[in-house]
Amino acid sequence: MNDIILQIESIKKSFVRNIINIRGEQEDERFYIIDDLDLLIPQGKITALIGGNGAGKTTLFNIISNFIKADSGDVLYKKNDSLMSIIGLPTFKITRMGIGRMFQDDHIFPNMSVLENMLLADNDKFGETPFISLLKPKQNRNIEKERIEKAQHIFANLFGKSNPLWDKKDDLAKSLSFGQQRLLGLTRLFMGNYKLVLLDEPTAGVNPQIIQQALGIIRRLVTENEVTVFLIEHNMKVVLELADFCSFMSHGKITAFGTPEDVIGNDEVRKTYLGI
Amino acid sequence: MNYIFHILIMINIYVILTVSTNLLVGMTNLLSLGQAAFYGIGAYLAVFALMVLKLPLIPVIILVMIGTALFSLIIAYPSLRLKGDYFVLATLGFQLIVFTILYNLVSVTRGPYGIPGIPAPKLFGVMQISGLVPFLILSLILAIITIFVFYKLVHTPFGRALKGLRDDEIAISSLGRNVTVFKIWAFVISSAFIGIAGFIYAAYVSYIDPTSFNLDEAIFILAAVLIGGTGNIKGPVVGAIFVVVLPELLRFVGFPDSVAANLRQIVYGMSLIVLMLYRPQGIAGEYRLQ
Amino acid sequence: MLLQLLANGIIMGSVYALVALGFALVYNTTKTFHIAYAAIYMFSSYMVLSFYKFLQMPLLISFLIAIFLTMGLSILIERTVYLPLVKKNSSLNVIMISSIGVMIVVINMIAMFYGNETQILNPNISKSVTFGNIILTHTQLAQLVISLMVIGIFITFLKYSKFGIKTRAMRDDNILCTVFGMNINRMRLSLFGLSAIFAAVGGGLVAYDVGMDPYIGMPMLLNGVVALIIGGVGRFEAPILGGFIIGIMQSLAVWVFSSRWQDAVTFSLLLIFLLFRPQGLLGEKQRAV
Repeated sequence: MNDIILQIESIKKSFVRNIINIRGEQEDERFYIIDDLDLLIPQGKITALIGGNGAGKTTLFNIISNFIKADSGDVLYKKNDSLMSIIGLPTFKITRMGIGRMFQDDHIFPNMSVLENMLLADNDKFGETPFISLLKPKQNRNIEKERIEKAQHIFANLFGKSNPLWDKKDDLAKSLSFGQQRLLGLTRLFMGNYKLVLLDEPTAGVNPQIIQQALGIIRRLVTENEVTVFLIEHNMKVVLELADFCSFMSHGKITAFGTPEDVIGNDEVRKTYLGI
Repeated sequence: MNYIFHILIMINIYVILTVSTNLLVGMTNLLSLGQAAFYGIGAYLAVFALMVLKLPLIPVIILVMIGTALFSLIIAYPSLRLKGDYFVLATLGFQLIVFTILYNLVSVTRGPYGIPGIPAPKLFGVMQISGLVPFLILSLILAIITIFVFYKLVHTPFGRALKGLRDDEIAISSLGRNVTVFKIWAFVISSAFIGIAGFIYAAYVSYIDPTSFNLDEAIFILAAVLIGGTGNIKGPVVGAIFVVVLPELLRFVGFPDSVAANLRQIVYGMSLIVLMLYRPQGIAGEYRLQ
Repeated sequence: MLLQLLANGIIMGSVYALVALGFALVYNTTKTFHIAYAAIYMFSSYMVLSFYKFLQMPLLISFLIAIFLTMGLSILIERTVYLPLVKKNSSLNVIMISSIGVMIVVINMIAMFYGNETQILNPNISKSVTFGNIILTHTQLAQLVISLMVIGIFITFLKYSKFGIKTRAMRDDNILCTVFGMNINRMRLSLFGLSAIFAAVGGGLVAYDVGMDPYIGMPMLLNGVVALIIGGVGRFEAPILGGFIIGIMQSLAVWVFSSRWQDAVTFSLLLIFLLFRPQGLLGEKQRAV
């Protein structure tokens, strides 16, 4: 049986919205976007999260990363062979524990170069306090060199020795095409030495060629770096091609879990989500 | 010649002020209206060190830096939880409260009567720094040190992390940086050096009163940074030179002092408006204010 | 004594409420941090001065012309500075900085033409009226009555007129408003014009009481901003409450400490609220954090 790297337990998240009730009056209604959600993420595998728009998938990711606070529930992460609660920990701490994140809108650094984007993603943050950065120039230089080599190595490994992204390494990230920005958002995950990465719709809005490259990157994350992948996807082909497991979210809960074929073949899923 | 020396000393003081403020406003994108408060705190701490503790030059500088930095921590920690306009308002609030305390706590600061007769700092307890040329050398050295420190900071991983923070706070925190700590660093470092400018001013003019450190001065320093340019070292230096030299130019052209004072303010104000409309990175800056 | 202080506080508070309301009108709807509002406030006083004292026109006419000209200034600023910046997608910080620039320019132009000294509108000592233990000057009464009138008219307008509904809609969501066909740019003009009326009325009332100098705008603006924070951003009733609270607190501060520390009380209130209750007393619990 697989080890569990992330255990999501009884998560509830609601917000209050102002509606017009049947009597035509304004009133506040508490709306549960996540309603007692449980999910186990197996280590070393690719698990997909599918569900309708607005089902709360990104909200769940934001709760795990602590950009949003859950109303109740817990998130347990496997650290040193035991599960520890990480819910509510500040975002930077969650990252430092080995959980990486890719966003729907990429969130790369537009006004910094491609190379700087990679260097900023390094898990070794030596030299980022003012005193050390000023007082240890030699050590800084060495670690910088290592960082740059690491980035170069990652690019060569993923895209081949001569690749357009590395050629653009000194260009500002905002000058990249949308697809290239997406690839950058994925590639920088290799700098972070993560154990688990949360990918929010990595193939959305990009052309098929980029999709294939993205899938290749994700696969190599798992096979070469033993990273567990948890991804939100709307593209069923990608889910079938890529994922080992699939979970279906509706009504604020996980209502189906299994292999992609099982879940996508599930009657409820077909009716409510796929519409077929 | 004396006149030129005086201008140069003031330029050095303002270079320290603008380069420091730029770390906060240009590099970390934290718009602050509170710089003059630290300028004043630095000045009054310097007076305390020179007149009460009777310390020589280097300990005075160290005391001023650490003292101003500690004060800024008190302000930074609660304020940095606030976002956007609320943060600016918090800095405004602190600026005003510091001024009010300096002005009204007459028993300690002599309030509006000011503190005259600030003694010349003694280098190694022997050599007195008084007179135009010694102050020119002192202010120039300190300005160069400031420029050097901030330049270095920008070109290190620390500076890169700040730039990342400025570019996308969500991204940088998802990459494992504690955003609040970085903002506090920016606050504390810039305040420490602003305090030094306060020391130079106090020792050079040998008289201080709170009106030199009020909201108008805070806006003035901010305007100097914005006009000169944000995000690099060149910009603030240009800004400092601009705001110190302009009044003198106006005087040369022949405007009477009373009109010149208003006129130069109008120039600053128009510069701000025009720059924000057409060139938000300032004259020589590289970061367009977001 | 206490009653007198309370009365003074309430009267001063009514003017603060007026000014705060004018600032909030623009801030809540367009998110513009209209620091230049300080200059607009001061400008109206000088317009009254020009027509009443220099051109010897009747007081009421001077007031009306001043209001009209102040509206003109406000609309000019909106059209030439704020709207172009909004069209360029400028950040709120950039707009605030440009507002600071406008304030500096206007204040110094007034100072250049009229001088830095205090000027007064009414050289006579105002007659007073006694209510039991409280003595109020006619000017104070005028301040209270006129301020309350203007505020009252506005609140009614806000609740029941089409303009009021549009204003409240803009406060909630500008983009949604355009989707529903509202001409935002025209609304902005009306809002800036309306806020100028508040500033002008407040400016005129205070100027008649204590006179003016080119630098009276900023302290008054600060009171308005603090009133807004204390009351709460969002609802338009909030700055009114905030204004009265500040007026009363300042009055009491004079009694408890001394007039020297009046400002410290106001600014301390600002900080306390920013740090512990940024949504103010009446605001919706939005996150300032």
